[in-house]
Amino acid sequence: MNFPTTGSPRSAGPLLPLRLRKPLLVLIVLGGLVVVSARLCKVDLAEFVPGLAKGVEVLRFFFPPDWSSLQEMVGPALVTVLLAAVATPLGVLLSFFFGLAGARNLSPGWLRSTARTLIGVERALPEIIVLLLLVAALGVGPFPGVLALAIGSVGMLGKLFADAIEELDAKVLESVGSVGATHSQIIRFAVLPEVMPALLSHSIFRFEVNLRASVLLGAVGAGGIGFELQKAMALLEYERAMMAVLVTLLLVFGAERISDYLRRRVLDGGKLA
Amino acid sequence: MLNVEQLTKKLPDGRALLNGISFRVARGEFVGVLGASGAGKSLTLRCILGLTQADGGTATLQANDGQTFELTTCKGRCQREARRRMGVIFQGFNLVKRLRVIDNVMIGRLAQIHPLRSWLYGFTDAEAAEALEALRRVKMEKYADRITGSLSGGEMQRVAIARAVFQKPSLYLADEPIASLDPSNSLAIMKLLQPLAKETPVLGVFHQPEMTARFCTRVIAIKHGKVVYDGDPVLSHAQLEDIYGDELMQVLRPTPALPPEPEASSSAFVGQVDEATPGLLAKQAT
Repeated sequence: MNFPTTGSPRSAGPLLPLRLRKPLLVLIVLGGLVVVSARLCKVDLAEFVPGLAKGVEVLRFFFPPDWSSLQEMVGPALVTVLLAAVATPLGVLLSFFFGLAGARNLSPGWLRSTARTLIGVERALPEIIVLLLLVAALGVGPFPGVLALAIGSVGMLGKLFADAIEELDAKVLESVGSVGATHSQIIRFAVLPEVMPALLSHSIFRFEVNLRASVLLGAVGAGGIGFELQKAMALLEYERAMMAVLVTLLLVFGAERISDYLRRRVLDGGKLA
Repeated sequence: MLNVEQLTKKLPDGRALLNGISFRVARGEFVGVLGASGAGKSLTLRCILGLTQADGGTATLQANDGQTFELTTCKGRCQREARRRMGVIFQGFNLVKRLRVIDNVMIGRLAQIHPLRSWLYGFTDAEAAEALEALRRVKMEKYADRITGSLSGGEMQRVAIARAVFQKPSLYLADEPIASLDPSNSLAIMKLLQPLAKETPVLGVFHQPEMTARFCTRVIAIKHGKVVYDGDPVLSHAQLEDIYGDELMQVLRPTPALPPEPEASSSAFVGQVDEATPGLLAKQAT
């Protein structure tokens, strides 16, 4: 059987090996997008390079840090830690109720979907917006800050708690119910002990997140080290601002180490205790 | 004590799963329920407990304290009061794995304490002492402070029995209590249930006719949602053939080792070795 062979592909040779065509196309599209966005945002390399030099020069203003201000930073730093320390348990409590309401195995459908929707909406709201709303309602100060962080925890913790509860063995809940226990007793004696490790480990992690957020919220009026940093910047006291940055770094890093350690303890301990 | 009359349960498509189940359980009885898979044994138990809603018929519990409960119709508080008077033992033990053994036993009395108290301080020392007594009865008192998830299947089932004993029920219900256990543990559990039945009647679903023949005072057989036998625990081969049909060989002869009920434990217990494997060799011994 002879088929007419007009222009074998081998002799002509494809412009590009087939396996490279797709990546190249992706690269071109992405590159195009970058260029278009840069145009729209007025990114200008010609301005960036001298700006960089200026930036480095400005950075010199921050050094050396104003060590003498360290003492004044301790108080605000404590406020920041306290803000997170008060807000986290509040947020955990709030999230636990949302978690119970949002768990399929404990709540009727309408309650579950309502709770899950509220949790989702909260997750979509940045803390800073929650804070601005609360500041508008309650005025400036640590209290709206605490509330904002507590409410801000629900988006993440509420979902994680609800998921952890839904993973529980339905038979165990049924078995505790079979002795005639009430809904609340099932929660106390089956749900709570079984989700406790997850609850603790998520909560400790949330404290870490809340600490970082409380620095940021401080700058917007909740007080603490963030406010100190913002004040120093506004007054052009860069060395003092640098000190606030260093204290913040220490706080956040320290909290991360401690939370890491505690969470490992909780999860390891969960095996036998 | 327990009087089941014409219990029915239908699938949404109208197919009957329970087709008029009737039987009685009286004081001093250890009643074994036999039947092929899907015959409706466990479902009958679930309907009695109210874990599944029956479509028709009645199940009446005459409790030791003189109260009477219509199990298929009572709801809410009435249902909790009724459940409080029935001690249940499940195939998968279904204990709260992260609680101590003694706490799991005390869960048996939850319905007898105020919900507020269960949140505030839980159980008293006197109740704990009594729970320990219940554990002693199943020879598990040494494990009282252990975390339940670290126990083996046979040990967990003993704890589950202790929980039911501590509950001081008017009736014990056992839903395939030995189906997930090896022969020596199965035997041990049956030996624990037998004396219990002398005080409080036991209604248990079983898969091994040789066990019910040896320990029960009476046997009920269910086939296609109907009671087809009710009487002497020792059944002839012909009677078993009638009850089990094609499944008879699996009941009497070694079966290819079925995978055990998937342990629904949380991932933290990965290392746990479950001895509850229905063994091939083990069944040959019978």
